[in-house]
Amino acid sequence: MINKKARIAGVPYVIWMVVFIVAPLCMVAWYAFTDKSGQFTIDNISSIGQYAPVFARSIWLALIATVICLLLAFPLSYLISRMSGARQSLMIMLIMLPMWMNFLLRTYAWMTLLENNGLINRFLGLFGLGPFQMINTQGAVVLGMVYNYLPFMILPLYSIMTKIDDSIINAAKDLGANMWQVTWRVIIPLAMPGITTGITMVFVPSISTFIISRMLGGGGNILIGDLIEMQFLGNTYNPHLGSAMALVLMVIVLLCMSIANQFDDEEMEGMLL
Amino acid sequence: MEDNVIVRLDNCSIAFDGETVLNNLSLDIHDEEFVTLLGPSGCGKTTTLRFIGGFLTPDSGRVLFDGKDVTHVPPYKREVNTVFQRYALFPHLNVFENIAFGLRLKKVPENEIKELVGEMIELVNLRGFESRKIGAMSGGQQQRVAIARALVNKPRILLLDEPLGALDLKLRKDMQVELKRIQQQLDITFVYVTHDQEEALTMSDTVVVMNDGIIQQIGTPEDIYNEPRNAFVADFIGESNIIEGIMHEDYLVQFAGEKFKCVDKGFEKDEFVDVVVRPEDIQIVTPNKGDLWGVVKSVVFKGVHFEMLIEQAGYTWKVHSTQSAEPGAQVGLKIGPDEIHIMKRSEA
Ligand SMILES: Nc1ncnc2c1ncn2[C@@H]1O[C@H](COP(=O)(O)OP(=O)(O)OP(=O)(O)O)[C@@H](O)[C@H]1O
Ligand SMILES: [Mg+2]
Repeated sequence: MINKKARIAGVPYVIWMVVFIVAPLCMVAWYAFTDKSGQFTIDNISSIGQYAPVFARSIWLALIATVICLLLAFPLSYLISRMSGARQSLMIMLIMLPMWMNFLLRTYAWMTLLENNGLINRFLGLFGLGPFQMINTQGAVVLGMVYNYLPFMILPLYSIMTKIDDSIINAAKDLGANMWQVTWRVIIPLAMPGITTGITMVFVPSISTFIISRMLGGGGNILIGDLIEMQFLGNTYNPHLGSAMALVLMVIVLLCMSIANQFDDEEMEGMLL
Repeated sequence: MEDNVIVRLDNCSIAFDGETVLNNLSLDIHDEEFVTLLGPSGCGKTTTLRFIGGFLTPDSGRVLFDGKDVTHVPPYKREVNTVFQRYALFPHLNVFENIAFGLRLKKVPENEIKELVGEMIELVNLRGFESRKIGAMSGGQQQRVAIARALVNKPRILLLDEPLGALDLKLRKDMQVELKRIQQQLDITFVYVTHDQEEALTMSDTVVVMNDGIIQQIGTPEDIYNEPRNAFVADFIGESNIIEGIMHEDYLVQFAGEKFKCVDKGFEKDEFVDVVVRPEDIQIVTPNKGDLWGVVKSVVFKGVHFEMLIEQAGYTWKVHSTQSAEPGAQVGLKIGPDEIHIMKRSEA
């Protein structure tokens, strides 16, 4: 069905995709399956087994962060989507506001807040509480993920919820649904595409982050991202192992995404409001 | 009549953004009655329905159900179901599940759900569409789903907000008959909103004419049509000639420069009034036999009758007749005492 003009117009994008997406992927795959002398090997992949705890931790923390983001963003997005037009834009701008600040800076700010003699502990100290160990914990890492990636959950949820007409919610109430039942039987199914998008947009950066874990998690909570970074930039320089890790991470992400999409497909049909 | 009032709106008022939308509205709805709220767009019909449905709480006033105050009872606890202005069907569910929605919430056993939904699908002629997605249904079919979805819950009252608004004329007529049949078959009270006066007159037991958030008249279709209480109602219900007049004494009114016998009384001497005459109630006669005489300005064939505009002493009369006259011809107009409706001047 694609006509000639459309095909020609598509050429630059195809070139772009080949140069910046397909080619690097091939290189990663090539590195992952070769050793220093360029010989084919699966040692890189098989040696990843010893890092299983790091992988498990990454998946676990990313999952927790994603769930927290979802739980926070869902009611908030719903409330915003029911506001008047001007209020909606204001709220969305407020949510976007922190994103205009540099990511490193934002995370750095949390360091100074969470430190043992940071702002929060000093404040609690005024009441004779603490100090609490907050920095260099898994909790701090999750906090950093939630704080940085929450907007990526809110935006897709909000944009799909604005499409849910008030009258549909009223219809559910009219038929005897309380707010809880309305949420489960109407809002969630209708918001499903936004939910899966939001989950993807939070889970993927969370599972591959290295700055957040480095700054807020200390040395004891390194994640896949840190491992990979070390293979390329650290003194353990080993791009072959690093590529193998990146490849495995990609497979994990793809698996998670296909699970999430499973929920989507059925709901999507006839969704056009 | 008094003892079977099912819903009573008692002096309900509401304002949005400081603007009064409904002003001291009081209305009784009787059991098994077909009540129609009729009025122009924006007059507050949907708002009134929302009071009954529980989606909106009046600023002042009460909503009573069987004599019990339900002003603050949420919608899901009321024995009322609604067919919304734009159907508001669930796009993620198929026809069967849309209709079954209310029953599932009430945890009705599966086999009973099958049976009840099946009955409803039969009632609204949608057999074979059970597993269709809503998006794949035509407007008329969606409308039937919306009705079935509401009725399957066996509400005491069904609220319908311009349910036929989106349908073409032929389908509208068919659905009007169908809705009336359903209402009589199930003995449910219908509160029906429309701004189509013909629809209101055809279907209703009681018509409530509204304008600017105020009830103008409540009555049977015949009452509303034949005895409009004011110029607004007369004008809104069918076409009318409305002309200023003076009520000289009981049964004697002057308008268009002539005195006429009429059947109204109880006005003050020489009170200024509005005189309403229906276009089909004016007879065209030869000039010397008429009460008034004028010149035919235009003649348009309207299918069943001719619509003529006749100019007489600065006023243009609209006349419907099965006989036509030539434009430019001089004709007489004859108006019998029964055809003259006198109403108090509206404040406006
Ligand atoms: N939630 C609201 N906020 C502000 N104004 C409202 C709201 N709901 C209704 N109104 C206003 O109240 C008035 C009456 O509205 P309503 O929906 O009852 O009219 P309606 O008679 O149903 O009209 P239509 O035939 O067009 O549906 C309108 O002027 C409308 O703009
Ligand atoms: Mg309306």
